[in-house]
Amino acid sequence: MNTNWNRREFLQRASAATMAALAAGAPVSGLLSGCKRFSGPDSTADTVILLWMAGGMAHTETFDPKRYTPFEKDMEGNRVLSTFKSMPTILDGIHFSDGLQSIGKVMDKGTLIRSYVAADMGHILHSRHQYHWHTCYEPPQTVAAPHIGSWIAKELGPKNPVIPAFVDIGQRFTVGEAEELKAFHTAGFLGNEFGPFFIPDPSQGLDSVRPPVGMDAKRFERRNQLYNELVNNSPIGEFGSDYQRESLKRSMEQAYALLNSPESKAFDLSSEPKESYQIYNTGKFGLGCLLARRLTEQGARFISVTTEYEPFKGWDTHENGYTRLIEMKKQIDGPIAQLVKDLDQKGLLDRTMIVLASEFSRDMMVEGKPDAKVLEQVNQPDILSDLKFYGMHRHFTDAGSMLLFGGGIKKGFVYGKTADERPCKTIENPIKIDQVHQTIYHALGITGDTHYEVEKRPFYTTPDGKGLPVMDLLA
Amino acid sequence: MLLQANETFWLWQLFGRLHPLFVHFPIGLLCVVLLLEILDWRGKSGRLRDGIRILVWVGAGSSVLAVIFGWLLAGEGEYSGDSLEIHRWAGIATMVLSIITAFSLRTNLFGIYRSLLFLTVFGVSFAGHYGAMLTHGDDYISSVLPSSQKYLAATTEVDFVANNSGPMSEQQIQDLNVQVRTILAHNCYSCHGEGKSKGDLRLDSRDGIMKGGENGFVVVKGHPEQSELIRRVSLPKSDKEAMPTKGKRLTEQEIKVLQYWIEKGAVWPEGKEKSIYRVAALEPRMPQVPVPTGDLVKPVDLFVNAYFVKNKIGWKPVVDDRIYIRRVYLDIIGLPPPPEKVEAFVADTRPDKRETLAKELLNRNDDYAQHWMSFWNDALRNDYSGTGYITGGRFDITKWLYRSLQVNKPYNWFVKELISPNKESEGFIKGIKWRGTINSSQRTEMQAAQNVSQVLLGLNLKCASCHDSFISDWKLEDSYAFANIFADTLLEINRCDKPTGKIAGTRILFPELGEISVNESTEKRLRQLADFLVQPKDGRLYRTVTNRIWAQLMGRGIVEPVDMMDNMPWSEDLLDWLASDFAANGYDIKKLIYTIVTSKTYQLPSTSVKEAGDIMANEYKFTGMVRRRLTAEQFTDAISFAFNPMYADTAIVTDLLPKDIKKKLPFPRAGFVKNDPFLTSLGRPNRETVSTSRTSQANLLQALELTNGNKFTETLKTGSKQWREKYPTSELLVTELYRKSLGRTPLPKEIAVAKKMLGPVPSEEGIQDLMWAIALIPEFQLIY
Repeated sequence: MNTNWNRREFLQRASAATMAALAAGAPVSGLLSGCKRFSGPDSTADTVILLWMAGGMAHTETFDPKRYTPFEKDMEGNRVLSTFKSMPTILDGIHFSDGLQSIGKVMDKGTLIRSYVAADMGHILHSRHQYHWHTCYEPPQTVAAPHIGSWIAKELGPKNPVIPAFVDIGQRFTVGEAEELKAFHTAGFLGNEFGPFFIPDPSQGLDSVRPPVGMDAKRFERRNQLYNELVNNSPIGEFGSDYQRESLKRSMEQAYALLNSPESKAFDLSSEPKESYQIYNTGKFGLGCLLARRLTEQGARFISVTTEYEPFKGWDTHENGYTRLIEMKKQIDGPIAQLVKDLDQKGLLDRTMIVLASEFSRDMMVEGKPDAKVLEQVNQPDILSDLKFYGMHRHFTDAGSMLLFGGGIKKGFVYGKTADERPCKTIENPIKIDQVHQTIYHALGITGDTHYEVEKRPFYTTPDGKGLPVMDLLA
Repeated sequence: MLLQANETFWLWQLFGRLHPLFVHFPIGLLCVVLLLEILDWRGKSGRLRDGIRILVWVGAGSSVLAVIFGWLLAGEGEYSGDSLEIHRWAGIATMVLSIITAFSLRTNLFGIYRSLLFLTVFGVSFAGHYGAMLTHGDDYISSVLPSSQKYLAATTEVDFVANNSGPMSEQQIQDLNVQVRTILAHNCYSCHGEGKSKGDLRLDSRDGIMKGGENGFVVVKGHPEQSELIRRVSLPKSDKEAMPTKGKRLTEQEIKVLQYWIEKGAVWPEGKEKSIYRVAALEPRMPQVPVPTGDLVKPVDLFVNAYFVKNKIGWKPVVDDRIYIRRVYLDIIGLPPPPEKVEAFVADTRPDKRETLAKELLNRNDDYAQHWMSFWNDALRNDYSGTGYITGGRFDITKWLYRSLQVNKPYNWFVKELISPNKESEGFIKGIKWRGTINSSQRTEMQAAQNVSQVLLGLNLKCASCHDSFISDWKLEDSYAFANIFADTLLEINRCDKPTGKIAGTRILFPELGEISVNESTEKRLRQLADFLVQPKDGRLYRTVTNRIWAQLMGRGIVEPVDMMDNMPWSEDLLDWLASDFAANGYDIKKLIYTIVTSKTYQLPSTSVKEAGDIMANEYKFTGMVRRRLTAEQFTDAISFAFNPMYADTAIVTDLLPKDIKKKLPFPRAGFVKNDPFLTSLGRPNRETVSTSRTSQANLLQALELTNGNKFTETLKTGSKQWREKYPTSELLVTELYRKSLGRTPLPKEIAVAKKMLGPVPSEEGIQDLMWAIALIPEFQLIY
């Protein structure tokens, strides 16, 4: 293969299919055999955007509000179910917590799930539940379990060969519990070619896909040319072709193509019209949504945008729940609604599934589940002597809200129900993580029994290949 | 985030735990009362009366105690849920009933008393049933019913089903039979197996499947289309003859496998079932070394020669000095050779210079330890950061490992200290403990069992720690018995995370190695285990490590995968000889490395394959070392060595290492820094699980990191400044860069290409780009 093509020629000559095959790479190793199925004609989605509410988003304070009790000094905590008023949404009889009105207005385009039930894993460690949510397996595991984004990258490959198949926006790995976060932000046994492409800060996204800082396009091209010439002149060429050498060269060609492609402009948020940029500009998460939209337009496969997990920050409200949530809602409400509207307007929502989720919910009184309380971790008095105790500060796993839009999901639909009195637990249509994953896979056309053999054992997308898609959620 | 539980007063806890003991009094006594009452139905004041009266009172009294203790136990919070509530209130109701029954016996209203007694016994049974469900799990009883058997579905493709039309090899016949049995086990055994044989048909044995059932034969050899088995599983679900009647339908692929198997004669090997898996011998074996021929004298070469002759492979001339010195440097100390050493080596005329070089490098104790550290860190799941440390659920063994490698600790001692550890080496068997409840197949004792067996014995216990394995003969009980050696209290066997109420013994996987004293302390048991495992007669231990070292140096093991030592080696004689020689030489890993790298076999030109998977293929033929990509650490160190250090001194995890480590490191080597995105992208694993091989395949994310990653760019940028100061002209600079990075002078056309880019006087940018290009060419990135 002549490696001296310039970028344009390269892209012209290599058909999308070849590029996809290149990007997917040869099997990681001979150990990995399994069944692989491509997105079939039955699929209803090509792209997934996961909006990750990291740290435990209380359902009663967001998408499933209960009776509102305003703060009074020395009130009984047990009286408080919600610290916000309920506001109507576009759907009859469905209310959201105050501060989420913009999302409320686009609910005619998606489905609200009110009955996500997280696993019972004893004494709470956020990252453990997050690991479970993202891989569908409870840690620790004997085999490194892949992230859902890696499964999708492995099964479907990139949609556009120059956009990495699995993009992870917004999470830094320098925070507390970082090691635990790393443990599931990985392709695991699938091999790191299917791992996430990290963009910790969306406003710096372009840096990841352009020539190194301080290197102009001309120098970048010259450098690449030099590399190609040195490869061709190196005497070890005598040894003939082999997969290591080929894969090295191939991966370099791809990287060059990506860094030079017009699509890489999608990573540049500064080229977004100002008006639109402003709507999204509520902070890192909002800009992450904008980046997700721009990548989706260029053909992304799986994107995760997170509010970022950092112990005791963001949704991880161990105190000041009420005041913190005012901020959190400001961060997410506008951008998420706009993301839905933009994709809808551009005709992309039909084949793009947006999933909003969190590892579990929160409650003021109950830690764990009502019938499986776990070790207390939050200093929450029964009598609220101070505003900082007013909020959902304990970790609650028996209910949780999720939003789904597009990609074949029902419109204006509500699934599941929680009790109106404490504990506000799931009382109708509980949905568990393997069902969530299988629903997403189903929409993408990835069959439920997809698995690979690792160390001679079958490893399925969801444990034992069990868990069925919730067909009720799909139109 | 860490808060303490409110501990219950110990005495209440003790009473609570006596509940399961005490409940048996009311259960037993009241049932006996009923029995006696029935025996004595007529004689309302007969000879049993007094006894009955006592029993009723003791029964009622003990039920009060049972209830109190039960209440305390429930308060401990270990149990919860609807079953608990039902059990609680049923128990209390029964207690009240039993007291009323006792009182009613004092009146002479026999009708009422007897009705009450019936009710009480019913109550006892009802409450008892729920109590049992709490203890043993909801499906303790129902799970053994065939209808609820849920096997771990394991659909595996058999490639040769689709593309093999010729005769099958012995291995393929075996593989196919395993596939077939796996399918039958998952889908059919529950009704046609040991427990049940519906329609008088058993599919779990050769005789059973050939005999057929009440409706005749189910398999017609060579004719899938006439076989009832195939017809039944292919019927649509709605058909009442369709099989299986319960559970998942067979997939198309599974049916295809069954069809193919019947077409090929439905071979089900005779004899013990065990025979269908290859099980490697445990004992060591010292094969006869073939007689020297030609210039071949070393045993390794003579065994390889025998293999070559058998496979009609010819010897190629050995590689030249430059290639050899680069190989041994990278393989023994993980660094490229300095240019002056290369030149001196090339100029050296001594016939034994290669042996001398190997010895010299092996004697560089710290450099050797620093390179091999990464290999053992992967295998022993040791890392400087990672999950578990945050909650004190993990311990590193870094210091111990470094010192062990530095002094070349004999491997039997090395293993002993890992299994029967001191404070510094206990991290390996302690495993990783996450906060909260975990799957029973992942408790730390089971992790120890899995990791010891995988890393040290080259066998997979992971399947069998959840259920009986489908890929080997290891049973759930074997895993638990092995794990019990590491456990302070015996583990209850869990099948697929459900408690079974059974306890396995305490047993080493290969009982012929010795018997563990069940009643000894954990410490003593571990010492026993260590002693048993390192015995010379445990050939498996030494074959496993020998094969791993061979794989590191040659790019492929004699057995692959290296964790499956029951697989067929490409040369049994070679492996057995190496392992026996290793034992005979005092378990000296450096000696083993020396034996390998000084063999003619190691010096053969490198080879490769078209696809990564081919290396693992059954048909693999050894013809020489397989080319390898530098590991993340080798690559990074080569950059540091050749151009400019990638890491600052401050990046070294000094706290975890021996005190004088900084003096021992030539520069901050990549094996001694915490994992980061750069190293991850180049393939350093996160060491959450044992990892015994790294991939040689490059990929896009890696290439992106190398193309525009900050770390790499900055390193080269800083380096270019220094190089510019040192080498004012392009010609000199290019020559030096090539010598330092590739161990050779550039060819004229390479100089021309580089100069075209640099101009006569190099700029910093030009140097930076040239270094980048050199670092990325395959010649730099591969061991060839």
